[in-house]
Amino acid sequence: MTEPKRKPADQELISAVWEEARDLIKRLEGSSVQRFAVEAGDTRIEIERGIPSGIAVGPLQAAAAPSEDGAGAGEPDNRHAITAPLVGTVYRAGQPGADPFVKVGDSVEAGQTVAIVEAMKLMNQVQADIAGKVAEIVVEDGQWVEFEQPLMYLEPPEEAD
Amino acid sequence: MFEKVLIANRGEIALRVARACRELGVKSVAVYSTADAESAVVRFADEAVQIGPPATSRSYLHIPSLIGAARKTGADALHPGYGFLSEDPYFAEICADEGITFIGPRPDVMEKVGDKATARDLMSKAGLPLLPGTVEPVNTLDEAHDICSEIGFPVIIKAVAGGGGRGMNVVTREEDLAELYQTTRATAQAVFKDSAVYIERYLETSRHTEIQLVCDSHGSGVYFGERDCSVQRRHQKLIEEAPSMHLTEETRREVGEAAVRGALSVGYTGAGTMEFLLDLDGNLAFMEMNARIQVEHPVSEAVTGVDLIQEQIRVAAGEELSVKQEDVPLRGHAIECRINAEDPDRDFAPAAGRLDTYVPPGGPWTRVDSHCYPGWMISPFYDSLIAKLIVWAPNRDAAIDRMQRALSEFEISGRGVKTTIPFHQRILDHPQFRSGDITTDFVEHFMSEEAAAAAG
Repeated sequence: MTEPKRKPADQELISAVWEEARDLIKRLEGSSVQRFAVEAGDTRIEIERGIPSGIAVGPLQAAAAPSEDGAGAGEPDNRHAITAPLVGTVYRAGQPGADPFVKVGDSVEAGQTVAIVEAMKLMNQVQADIAGKVAEIVVEDGQWVEFEQPLMYLEPPEEAD
Repeated sequence: MFEKVLIANRGEIALRVARACRELGVKSVAVYSTADAESAVVRFADEAVQIGPPATSRSYLHIPSLIGAARKTGADALHPGYGFLSEDPYFAEICADEGITFIGPRPDVMEKVGDKATARDLMSKAGLPLLPGTVEPVNTLDEAHDICSEIGFPVIIKAVAGGGGRGMNVVTREEDLAELYQTTRATAQAVFKDSAVYIERYLETSRHTEIQLVCDSHGSGVYFGERDCSVQRRHQKLIEEAPSMHLTEETRREVGEAAVRGALSVGYTGAGTMEFLLDLDGNLAFMEMNARIQVEHPVSEAVTGVDLIQEQIRVAAGEELSVKQEDVPLRGHAIECRINAEDPDRDFAPAAGRLDTYVPPGGPWTRVDSHCYPGWMISPFYDSLIAKLIVWAPNRDAAIDRMQRALSEFEISGRGVKTTIPFHQRILDHPQFRSGDITTDFVEHFMSEEAAAAAG
């Protein structure tokens, strides 16, 4: 989860609300509360707990990957898909106009944030679950994605070749 | 009318809603967890969005993902089906905030009718009969004693916030009242975080009777007769039929009109059901209202000829009901059997697995609402409903014969898969079922009778 940096509007108010929300999250630790919202003026932060943020791992279900494979391009695909952890809008950068988290050709570490998926004002960091090199990015900034839809593919680090 | 309806559910009801949308010329969007990627509604709907993993907390109950799917596909309405989020006022409110029409009552109305004490109060004001007892919570033991001496034993003490058969105790003797009153309050506090209880007369034998209604936003409401759902096991309905064999034409009209009046008095819109207990003398008592479409709605459709899901969608879109009360006379008799992947010989334990064979019955006035097909995996993640088999005939005897015929045609098999079909066949064969004299304790007696016969 990161600070939602949408409209330039009232950054101060947003920060205040966010502080409040952060404080609440801490206080609710260990309780059974699942969701809550903090509101001030037009700014509303809604938190749903119990969702492991970020990493979506593992082999994709056939039905989950709409693109790729197709007309058997002979080579065995050793690329690793990083997929959306939930339905939402994908952002490739921390805020509008900022540099993207990663570009094709970048090396990433396991645990590094590579994108954000926003669902109902909830920012979910997507982190690389392995180290590797970004081989292809298959989503546009601001695009809607489904659960487990591939966002990008990593190639294993050099020595694995 | 809506452009596109997102169906926030799975299984047979998702397919049922998608079919209604298709007939109305409305586009449908299915949502599915990874376990349901091959499901029938995903194939049938105009669009489909994968919303999460099999666990319902992260898929069918996960509000941000459902809203996200609606936004992604541009759906302007959302049908919640039954179960899951269908009676969650908070969810209905979020939909409204997001500009998506929730197909159901307004959130504030849903909240009101969802609270048992409030619902009883409102419906009694609208003229619906209640069991002798209290509408307001009982606050002291003295008060409890006074009420019991007024209405007589046995009584049942119920948690205001209770549900699903929990938080209630039957008191048959005055000397047990003090203890059970305290116990119920303590349980209510522990389980539901609300110690409020109310007391009403307890009926040892009764029939579960419910009135189906739909109200539009133009102040009209229509009742679609009643259903008898007395064949149940531990509050799980197994067989439902319409009409009830135990309501006079006059009572049906009186209660139907009162139910509609009660619903309209709280600003209810959409499809809903009022549940009643019917005692052996033919007196009804209001129990609660369900603010959603119910599993057993097809039996009412069969005897009225009205597609209730289409009506539900129509009125949510702001249109008037397509029928008036005088257009819905009850015709003939309908029965529904819920075919579950359960093993009646092992206390109805879930018996899920992949279906190798799935051949539904056909023939006249035989309807199968199901999402299953050969090769479909009945998943242990979700409920065990395989199919709803509904038949219609001009009278009850003919309907039972038709149901027997249809059940004998139904072929379902797979490794580890057991179904409730043989159980249904034995119930339908029972002389008491044939006689129509069924109360909610029938299945229990039936099972002990069978156990005794097997032992002897």
